Amino acid sequence: QLSVLLSLQLTSEDMIAAFSQAVDWAGCTVRAFAWHPHTNKFAVALLDDSIRVYNSNSATVPSLKHRLQRNVAAMAWKPLCASILAVACQSCVLVWHLDPTSLSTRPSSGCAQVLSCPGHSPVTSLAWAPSGERLLSASPVDTAMLVWDVSTETCVQLQWFGGGGVTYLAWSPDGSKVLAATPSAVFRVWEAQMWTCERWPTIRGRCQTGCWSPDGSRLLFTVLGESVIYSLSFSEYRGEMQGQVGGSKTASIVADLSETTFETLYGEERIGGEVHSMVWDPTGERLAVIIRGESPNSQPAVAVFRTRNSPVFELLPCGFVRGERGARPQLISFHPCFPQGALLTVCWSSGKISHIPFFFVGALEPHASPRRSPVPVLGSVREQPLFSEL
Amino acid sequence: MSMVIIIISIFNIEFYAVVPSIPCSRLALIGKIIHPQQVIHSFVHAIMGMLVTWCATVMTKGRFQFLAVSCTPSEGLEDAVPQMCLNEYHLFFLLSGAFLGYSYSLFYLINNMNYLPFPIIQQYKYLRFRRSLPLLIKHSCVESLHFVRNFCVTYYFFGYIPKVWICTTMDLHTDGKLHPLDTLSGLLDLSLFYHTWLSGVFLLMTWYIAWLLFKIYATESHHFPIQPTFAQETDQCLPKILNSNPPLLIKFLALQDLMLLSQYSPVRRQEVFSLSQPGGHPHNWTAISRECLSLLSDLTQRLIAQQEAAAAANGRAKPPVGELKVPPQTPGAAGIEDMSFQSQSSPALNYKMGVVDIKSPWHGPVQSPHVMRRGPKLWTSVSDQQMNGSHHESFPVLSAARTGTEAVQPRFIYTWLQNKQEQIKTFLSKRALIMYFFSKHPEASIQAVFSDAQMHIWALEGLSHLVAASFTEDQFGVVQTTLPAILNTLLTLQEVVDRHFKLPHVSSKPPRISGSLVDTSYKTLRFALRASLKTALYRITTVFGEHLNAVQVSTEHKKRLQQFLEYKE
Repeated sequence: QLSVLLSLQLTSEDMIAAFSQAVDWAGCTVRAFAWHPHTNKFAVALLDDSIRVYNSNSATVPSLKHRLQRNVAAMAWKPLCASILAVACQSCVLVWHLDPTSLSTRPSSGCAQVLSCPGHSPVTSLAWAPSGERLLSASPVDTAMLVWDVSTETCVQLQWFGGGGVTYLAWSPDGSKVLAATPSAVFRVWEAQMWTCERWPTIRGRCQTGCWSPDGSRLLFTVLGESVIYSLSFSEYRGEMQGQVGGSKTASIVADLSETTFETLYGEERIGGEVHSMVWDPTGERLAVIIRGESPNSQPAVAVFRTRNSPVFELLPCGFVRGERGARPQLISFHPCFPQGALLTVCWSSGKISHIPFFFVGALEPHASPRRSPVPVLGSVREQPLFSEL
Repeated sequence: MSMVIIIISIFNIEFYAVVPSIPCSRLALIGKIIHPQQVIHSFVHAIMGMLVTWCATVMTKGRFQFLAVSCTPSEGLEDAVPQMCLNEYHLFFLLSGAFLGYSYSLFYLINNMNYLPFPIIQQYKYLRFRRSLPLLIKHSCVESLHFVRNFCVTYYFFGYIPKVWICTTMDLHTDGKLHPLDTLSGLLDLSLFYHTWLSGVFLLMTWYIAWLLFKIYATESHHFPIQPTFAQETDQCLPKILNSNPPLLIKFLALQDLMLLSQYSPVRRQEVFSLSQPGGHPHNWTAISRECLSLLSDLTQRLIAQQEAAAAANGRAKPPVGELKVPPQTPGAAGIEDMSFQSQSSPALNYKMGVVDIKSPWHGPVQSPHVMRRGPKLWTSVSDQQMNGSHHESFPVLSAARTGTEAVQPRFIYTWLQNKQEQIKTFLSKRALIMYFFSKHPEASIQAVFSDAQMHIWALEGLSHLVAASFTEDQFGVVQTTLPAILNTLLTLQEVVDRHFKLPHVSSKPPRISGSLVDTSYKTLRFALRASLKTALYRITTVFGEHLNAVQVSTEHKKRLQQFLEYKE
């Protein structure tokens, strides 16, 4: 019944603006951003419904346009592939098959595959399986989450009643679990082998955003209306526990981001409030968060935390990222395979995109990135004393 | 009623197929329909349909219940003797049941409903059933409407035949007071229509549910052990099953299990990478990788053969229609064998004949004895009762086979025979009606080549996941020695598939019909194959990265691997 109410009261643009990971989806130039999982390439969705693909190895910037590509809410590159981009549009999901070596600046709309299902619009979130075979798409008005097999264009509807549609999807990097947030005060975590789910009711509001640790054992999420970060841990995936998600009984609070005053060189600053979006870098070492200020005219800020997931979870504040004067952060994203640490990309409301590197040596050697030159693993040697807010 | 269900289930089990048989020409389709197996299927379904509607009428009571009711004759005789009249409604019902049964059977055949599609995601059986139920109910209602409408039309024209027959055999009279049903006014009875439609819905729903449950149970993933723990389990373990020649469904289930274990089960992966005691041989890995690679190279050969055939056909003048071919009776495979047969013959034929008519649109499946000796005999079903007329396609094949095995027969008779056949074929090709039946539908023939591609897709996924996992989990290095072979096979297959997709019609997608109960995923298997092949290669290159430069592959393959490493493919 919630989805009916939603569709009556909100237009689809309002819905996308309400559930998008971008701070000001409706008014800002940049609407969605996605890094390619293996190369230095990213796609940016703009206000005029076009998508530009920037590649550090080439000077051409292909611009993707399609008549069905309107109100782009999210984009995702297919893993284990050179250039296939899935775009969540108003009425369908477009899958662009781009030629990685082509120099054309305007790929034809014949390269785009249209995946549509009646009743599944607007599509607000997409998630590819890390093994690259299945694509999940979600819409706030459809109680079913769709699992697409893109090459045969067939889909399976995973329906679950209660909670309305699905607003946000996040697939764990090890491929075992999927977070599905709904517009009501409940979210679900699905396990991706037999597709059973666990239901997690929240106290006050809907789950706004979430991100997984690299090994899929911890989920950090935030709730609309609360300025804390919750953590939910899952038992390690052994493969023999079919059909069980394995989540722990309750979530614990790991960070409190309510408004505090900071003394800076420029005077006092009040930073703190609700979290709008959160991203965790693929090595599990840095967490970046867009904090929307509590007062209406305060600027959103980007806060960075240092994290570690094993043997115990730690979350330590690291710093803030500031842009130009008057620029508000819109979208944040970490580069999926930065060899020297982590690379945070911030899209600002002024239309600029900046990349902020964090150079460090990770505590654990991450799997599957042999492209970086072998770096001696120093273990967990740190200068600061270790303390945790848990 | 339960007997009906049991019989239907038996038929489902008898007729299932994991590889759809795709008729490539209209004649093939007709052949499929007239095939005795199919005739029995339709007949039994018709009888079942009648039985079900009879049960329905018994349950409804009222005016539909009995075949014969007592009635008085229309002429008002004083001493009217009650006679037995034909209850036309009952007859209508029974016949509608028979018609429904027959239509169901026809629909089953044409839409390849005996094909068992494997699900794209694994789910518990109850959830799968529950998920398909609403669509099934909706589909039954709509289909029942169509069938009843068709039946009404049929009854309007032909209804008097059974009526008269029953009346004469059972010595009943027609009731003059009621309207006879095979008139327009009779058929416009809404209550009758509603009752017939409802019994049709009931019939179709029960049959579809039986079919759905069979599909769900048959395609459920089965756990095959890798290392046999007990002696009697040796035959059931995965490497053994893959290497022997089990029934196709078992092979499919084994490959599906391989795909699942390679992704989700570290314990079973360890068993795959383990060495035997004593001796230290990686039997499990060798068996599994050998089988997967042979499957993939087999597909490569098939595709190459078909490409050569297409190239040969294009080498002659562009034919207006396709080629003459025996309708394949065995699922899919016969069509493929046909193709390779023809391809082997084409270069030889070109070379030998010279007198071949350039305008002839086909090259027959006749062979020169040379080629016959070279390749194994591929022809399985030679006799075809359905083929009418003297242009028995099997005949030249049979004669070629005999000629081939004898091998020293004078070639003069042989060539004269071939000449005659070419002349007959050229003559017949000018007849449009013959061409209508024999012309091969290009899309259908492409689907026929890839009809068992699901096996290859799973083999690719299983193999690539195992290789990717071996980067961290393989303690003894059993995978490393087979890495060159794996990469070679995958890269060759990828080249061949890319070339294949450049042929006409192959890269065009058939129109997608959503919301239908019938699964048509076999039509797009080739796209899934191409995508999973690319993903498999990328999976291996992403995990191994620059280390792949140390693997021994040919220079050409090295160049392509470099393209994959740079994400330029």
